[in-house]
Amino acid sequence: MSSIKEKFNQISPSEFFYSNRDLAGFSNPTRSLYTAVREFVENALDACDQKGILPDVHLTIKAVEPDKPDPKPYILTVKDNGPGVDAKHIPLAFGTVLYGSKFGLKQARGMFGLGATMAILYGQITTNKPVIVKSSTDAKIQNQFEILLDIQKNKPIIQKHTTKEVAKKGLSVSICLEGDYSKAGNKIRDYVYETSLITPYATITFDDPKGQKFHHPRFVKDIPPPPTIIRPHPHGIDVERIRRMIVESQFEIPTIDDTMIEKVRKDLGLSKQNLSFTAIMAKAKKKWKNLSRQVRVVIALMSFLKMDFEKLSKIRIEDLDVPNKKLHYWDFGDSQSKTVEMDPESQYYKQLTNTVQGEPLTTFLTKRFQRIGPTTAVKFAEFAGFKPEKRMGTFTNQELVNLSDSLQKFDDFMAPDSSCLAPLGEEPLEKGIKKFFNPDFVAVVQRPASAYSGFPFIVEMGIAYGGDIKSGGPHVYRYANRIPLLYDEGSDVVLKVVNDTDWGRYKVKGDPPFIIVSHICSTRIPYKTAGKENVADRQEIERELRLGLQFLSRKLAAFMSKRGQAEMAKKRANLYAKYIPMIAEFCTELAGKKKEPNYKKILEDMEPVEVKTETKSVEEEKPIESK
Amino acid sequence: MKASEKRAKDISKKAKEKQKSILEALKNHGAKIYEDLENGQFPKFSIPSRSVSNIVYDKKLRQYILGNSTALRSAKNSAQLRSFTQLMWLAFFANRLTQEKKSSTLRDVYYSSQAFAIEFDDQSESDNIIVDLEAVTSRPREDFHIFPEERSSIFGDLNIEYTIPGYEGKKMNLSNHPDGYSIGPSLTTAELVDTSAEIVIAIEKGGLFTRFVEEQVDKKFKSIIINTGGQAPRSTRTLLKRLHDEMGLPVIILTDGDVYGEHIAMVIKSGSANAAHLRELTVPDAKWVGVWATDIEKYKLPTIPMTESDIKRCYDLQKDPRYESGIWKKELEVFLRLKRKAELEAFAKYGLTNITDKYLPQKLELAKSL
Repeated sequence: MSSIKEKFNQISPSEFFYSNRDLAGFSNPTRSLYTAVREFVENALDACDQKGILPDVHLTIKAVEPDKPDPKPYILTVKDNGPGVDAKHIPLAFGTVLYGSKFGLKQARGMFGLGATMAILYGQITTNKPVIVKSSTDAKIQNQFEILLDIQKNKPIIQKHTTKEVAKKGLSVSICLEGDYSKAGNKIRDYVYETSLITPYATITFDDPKGQKFHHPRFVKDIPPPPTIIRPHPHGIDVERIRRMIVESQFEIPTIDDTMIEKVRKDLGLSKQNLSFTAIMAKAKKKWKNLSRQVRVVIALMSFLKMDFEKLSKIRIEDLDVPNKKLHYWDFGDSQSKTVEMDPESQYYKQLTNTVQGEPLTTFLTKRFQRIGPTTAVKFAEFAGFKPEKRMGTFTNQELVNLSDSLQKFDDFMAPDSSCLAPLGEEPLEKGIKKFFNPDFVAVVQRPASAYSGFPFIVEMGIAYGGDIKSGGPHVYRYANRIPLLYDEGSDVVLKVVNDTDWGRYKVKGDPPFIIVSHICSTRIPYKTAGKENVADRQEIERELRLGLQFLSRKLAAFMSKRGQAEMAKKRANLYAKYIPMIAEFCTELAGKKKEPNYKKILEDMEPVEVKTETKSVEEEKPIESK
Repeated sequence: MKASEKRAKDISKKAKEKQKSILEALKNHGAKIYEDLENGQFPKFSIPSRSVSNIVYDKKLRQYILGNSTALRSAKNSAQLRSFTQLMWLAFFANRLTQEKKSSTLRDVYYSSQAFAIEFDDQSESDNIIVDLEAVTSRPREDFHIFPEERSSIFGDLNIEYTIPGYEGKKMNLSNHPDGYSIGPSLTTAELVDTSAEIVIAIEKGGLFTRFVEEQVDKKFKSIIINTGGQAPRSTRTLLKRLHDEMGLPVIILTDGDVYGEHIAMVIKSGSANAAHLRELTVPDAKWVGVWATDIEKYKLPTIPMTESDIKRCYDLQKDPRYESGIWKKELEVFLRLKRKAELEAFAKYGLTNITDKYLPQKLELAKSL
């Protein structure tokens, strides 16, 4: 056994990613440049979003030697006006893999801030240049670091650290990496363009290596409400997570030493007084609400020991036998073990049982999970076959597995809380579409929150027709958590739903100029691949997309038929304007008259009359006019 | 001399009257439209319906005619607006043609329209509008000086006198040129002065026409020979009718021995459903003398098998009321029985002149008893 064991080498996360960089989208110079841009831009936007700052993001890509053929080294810089990163965190945040601030259950573009470190790592492997990080958190001092990554040790090597005075907050990250802009350029420009559509409150500027500037100023002044961090939903949980939550909920009996006693005295406001046991209890009762858990436990113990601080300092709690309602302690003075009975009716008894055996199942459910009320908790306990008051600390491993299974299967939980989601909102989405496409028709919809496997999600969609939109539609703009998805659209669930739609039914025919924008927000987007480019067809998501699209399509159909009628009326008016004068001309000569008949009146009267015309004759007219 | 002058005057007067009545019809149509427009109304007119359900066979007239149902064409209906305008243009164009005594082919009409920004997608569309104008005015297009391309011809001792501009009063004998004279606008409108012929022989094919001229059928049988060039064009049918009506000549028809030949004869005799809106195009007394299906057996002619479409055509014609009796019915039945057909040239099996030496005299004789 031991000889085998010796062959296992621990590898650092940096090394792991180094050897598996394809997974994160750094497979070749084209893709890598694009992915690096994405990671830095998304980090910048996330940072601003979290602090409610209207983002100003400036992306610059510069070739180190412009005349060299691609692929070649580029310097990629992304600068934002966000909160910045504290100088003491910078080396770790930018010089190690798996150091991030995004571990929490809420919607963000990136999950853990891993991608940016990957980009830095990729830059270092291809050009051996350090990452340059400039950050100011106070708009006074800017810290500038040049950092290399020690791949084997997963540790930052600070090459240079300087500070200077600045006037603005924000972060600027600059890496040198091998890239192929001639191939990646299109995607990067598309990415910047599409990002600015879904982030209308951000100003995004892109200076490309050829000296072109792409400037997308913000056109919405309000930042959508930031998402909140929430408790998990029972459907999105596994045994390991439950185990961790139980550990969090349990509370060790504090060691009652002099420091602890001093703390209790202080918290009760008694540091200068020596009160009797009864007086302490009275005081504690008064202050109970403001007391910390630790202090409450100590008070509860004191209530059964019936001791003041003096006596308390001379004993050690040995065991708390909750089922038998006995409290064993060692008395240093008598040098023997003693036992007191605990009154189960006492409120202090409850405090202690909670501490030792954890919360009852129902409390655990209502307190630790989102949107579970006492009634549901009891119902669930019955469903799962556990007593509602069963203490979490008493669950065996097998019972935990059963609990976890039951949590998945129980259908009466409310849908996941969507307050952790930050959809863009109908109004900004509509504004964005209008600004980008200047369409003749636009409709947007935000579906109510739904969930798959305990992860809440919201689908937002928009549809637009005509205007500046190119024909050959539908053109689909896919977004997930405000990230444009540009690759692998063939296998995406949105595309599937769009392609399943029979557009003829919605009066959209031929080579129509129309676009569909779809935005899926979730605490976890079910990407098909690690590259975050296409969304898997989860049944619940597909359903929401379908309903959203149907709603919009119906609106489009109404527009199309109205537009069709208006077009027909116009066409008809044009027909009359064209032919009636000809008829007049011919009949004048036929009738042997000199002056043409006064036909103007007919032409003028026509429009109001023709609105009522049956559509049938309109359709008959079509083939003639199409020639 | 005086008589001929008077005659020339008569001819000219007759032609003028005809022209006047055409112009009158066109003017009436234009005036009605003008009036509608002047009154601030969408112009409209009615036109006899040419749908199949409105084409009926008139036993008394012995031809197809249009029934009573009419269709209203209104400029208000945007679906009809285009064709309405096209028809107005055509009337306008025909008016000019008639006034200036110029003629135009169907193809000319199609191209002339383009000078007036009138779009016809193709000639068949303009041809269709021409038929509309015929229906509205109840006059054949030839009256408006619109003619199809020429392909039929005439030969024989017939004196004519032209009425067309530049040739008025000029005379011509139609036996002076052995290739025959093509039947065009000038011939159709010419005055038929006199003839020594006693019969008109209409023959389906140019090849046989040449043989008949060579063999002097015109002299031997005192006949005027007309090559219909397949299905007889309107101008040819008009001329046949005039020869019959004005000169009192009987008309016999010789066609290939197949179902299409039989129908060529029928159309000369009683018109086509396509021209049901027109009268004056039929020669009800014309006689089809061959080649009959029964002749194929009788003369042991070389035959070729009938095609699918030949057979289908037989069954179609059996539904036509004109084929319900007489030789028309009988010959169709024989064709269907034989499922074979024979061309006029088949008589060459017995020598090139067999058809004129033997077959024709027999048929002429027979015709008298038909």
